[in-house]
Amino acid sequence: MTEQAHETKSPAILEGIRVVDLTTGSFNYAGRLLAGLGAEVIKIESTEGDPLRHWGPFRDDKKDIETGGRHLHLDAGKRSIGIDLDSLEGQTLAKNIIGNCDVVLESFEPGYLETAGLSFESLTSSHTDLIMVSMSHFGQSGPYKDYHGSEIVDVAIGGYLRLTGEPDREPVKPYDDLVIQHTALHAATAAVVGIMHRDNTGEGDWFDVAAIDAALFLIGGPTQSYFFNGKVAQRNGNRLLFTEPQYLYPSTIRPCLDGYVHAHGNNRNQDLLAVLMPDIGLEPLFDTPMGNADKIDELMDLWLSTRDKFEVVRLAQELRLPFTEVLTPEEILRDPHLEERGFLVNLEHPLEPNLLQPGHAALMSETPWINRRAPLIGEHTDEILQTLLGIDEEERAELRDKGVIE
Amino acid sequence: MSAQALNKIRVLELTTAVAGPVAGCVLADMGAEVIKIESPGGRSLKSPGAPPPIEGAPDHPYNRTAFFNELHRGKKLLSLDLKHEDGKNIFLRLVETADVVMENFSPKIVGRLGIDYAELKKIKNDIICVSMPAFGKSGPYESRASYGPGIDAMSGLSHLTGFPDGNPGKPAQFYCDQNAGLTAALTVMGAVRHRNRTGQGQYIELAMLEGEMQLIAPALMDVMMNSRSTNRTGNRHDRFAPQGVYKCKGENEWVAITVRTDLEWQSLANLIGKPEVAKDNRFIDLDGRQMHHEDIDKLVENWTQTLTPQEAETVMQGAGIPAGALLNLNEAFTHPQFQHRNTLVHVEHPEMGTFPHTRTAWRSKNKNEGVAGPAPTFGNANKYVLSDLLNFSQEEQQKLKDLGIVSDAPLS
Repeated sequence: MTEQAHETKSPAILEGIRVVDLTTGSFNYAGRLLAGLGAEVIKIESTEGDPLRHWGPFRDDKKDIETGGRHLHLDAGKRSIGIDLDSLEGQTLAKNIIGNCDVVLESFEPGYLETAGLSFESLTSSHTDLIMVSMSHFGQSGPYKDYHGSEIVDVAIGGYLRLTGEPDREPVKPYDDLVIQHTALHAATAAVVGIMHRDNTGEGDWFDVAAIDAALFLIGGPTQSYFFNGKVAQRNGNRLLFTEPQYLYPSTIRPCLDGYVHAHGNNRNQDLLAVLMPDIGLEPLFDTPMGNADKIDELMDLWLSTRDKFEVVRLAQELRLPFTEVLTPEEILRDPHLEERGFLVNLEHPLEPNLLQPGHAALMSETPWINRRAPLIGEHTDEILQTLLGIDEEERAELRDKGVIE
Repeated sequence: MSAQALNKIRVLELTTAVAGPVAGCVLADMGAEVIKIESPGGRSLKSPGAPPPIEGAPDHPYNRTAFFNELHRGKKLLSLDLKHEDGKNIFLRLVETADVVMENFSPKIVGRLGIDYAELKKIKNDIICVSMPAFGKSGPYESRASYGPGIDAMSGLSHLTGFPDGNPGKPAQFYCDQNAGLTAALTVMGAVRHRNRTGQGQYIELAMLEGEMQLIAPALMDVMMNSRSTNRTGNRHDRFAPQGVYKCKGENEWVAITVRTDLEWQSLANLIGKPEVAKDNRFIDLDGRQMHHEDIDKLVENWTQTLTPQEAETVMQGAGIPAGALLNLNEAFTHPQFQHRNTLVHVEHPEMGTFPHTRTAWRSKNKNEGVAGPAPTFGNANKYVLSDLLNFSQEEQQKLKDLGIVSDAPLS
């Protein structure tokens, strides 16, 4: 187990909280966060493994269910038990494990857990202070509950997709599972809300987290401005979504000699931009910066085209202009800042011993952030069944023969 | 209406921009008393659109800007000049009564004001302090200036969002602020619980860049595993095909589709009235469909252009295929699923009347959800803080106002 560099004296924030993680795909980020905060997270996956394990990237593109990149990241810090949830015996095992836990995370299609005998009602009949967090695309009830979701469908209905991309082209989705992973962040937060509610009242709770809601939450500002003035924001490329002529510009991405920079004006002192790029005629355009955005781009591009991105950002930041480089993944891996902060960590997975991956989401002075490698399939099956349920070696062999556990 | 999970927890919020305020909103929604502290100098009125005052209400444009109302709902507002010695002393007395102090100033400003964790811990030993710097409190970029979209650029997200033949892209408005705000709320709640159990406060450092980079792992790993630089892939998916955004009947109308399996592909081919395409060997499996994605896109779009987004969505969902109309914000707000989930919460503002706010993505059986209330009017908690919490006399309060240390209206 590696911990952050800080000297810490105390146990992790969520030490002593036990979580059962039944999620799949990018919803797994919720359990990863809770494990980072120190909860014991037991990943119950099928005997063939969570489908997440089939997601890449894989070294040399060779599929191996132990070493998929997304699994290594999103399952970090968890323990794994393989259980066939389609079998009655498997369902009983899962129910008994949950009986020893504080929190359940799940992302099955709404209604599935009921058919597996694991609905919130049935779980809480004997375990009244259980906290359950259900994640789904559209929610556990309502007219769209049984609709089929995906990242791109969720961001479409959540109003987010129309706001991303260039105005003259079809909208474009954000990278990877951005909104589903954000949904999982809401779920992890809900779990801690549930724990605090339980501390106060002794009651459990059931949280229903929907990806379409997370999409709407992420939109932020343009939502409130619609309520106030009825203007429906539209995608605006890399410019901000508020297009009144007097509004701030630049805030955009422009090409330079060797790539792209994010160019941003100083809110309080727009003229600083003309100090950075002197004598090219910017000053008169700042009365209505957004209204002159095309012209400002044209002038900036000439200046930028002869300079590389690190030089541009260095010169801008010396003036406190919030320019940054648009970094590529290779550049990020060489980035001196992340290296000095120890953000990328090697979790020493036996089959991927030299891989770096994102570490802490937060640093705390007195309690550690826990980084521990992702588990092999069923790596902790024996230990969990023995210590939590007292199921001995002989019984386990029998369950294995029947294909109930792995 | 707010949840009760953070009942009796007092948060002092010294924040600018977006991430810090979002964290404060979530803590307020979960039942904390969040006191936002703002300079009496006033605030930027550069904000898109403002509704008129309701009848009988005073005309205070500074209370009606969109940004402020979005980012500070559910909070109280103390207008206090921290740069003045007396203002700073009031703040320090308030810290004695607080559980959490949250700031996202630049590291320099916090040092200059003399309100960093080491100082505040002397006043209240178990205080929880939260900083939300863009890049962190160490490293070569510690003092860099940046807003949300600039951090999106450095995280790799911009490079990875967009079409392969287009520029790097920005997801909607920006991503890292909302993400960092919620991550901060999560960590603060955990830290409050830790303090409740152990009596120990602490300092939390949440670098917005590092919260955001939790999303970038696959692209980083592809470099390390395969020396391959992931480029932008537009609307395509590495495990599903076809996936895309397709033009529908009408101007700027679209539907998003994800075909997850060979069977779903055959259903779609039949829906578009091309049973011979369903049997076409080029498209029979994922690899083939990835290879011929452009041909498939044309076939699919020829069909979607004859339908409205809602028609296309309904017929595909009926066949078990993930599909969704691209909704405008106004359409999302009246959508039956959002209505069912009560995603929007209407709260009454004393000067503008009733407006909706969007809440976090969860609903709970025990109502640990909700929006705590409207954004505060300027200085609405001045009296509460000075009289009720700190026992200042009327005279002393008047003196503070005369000196411009506290104000009931912007002084600029």
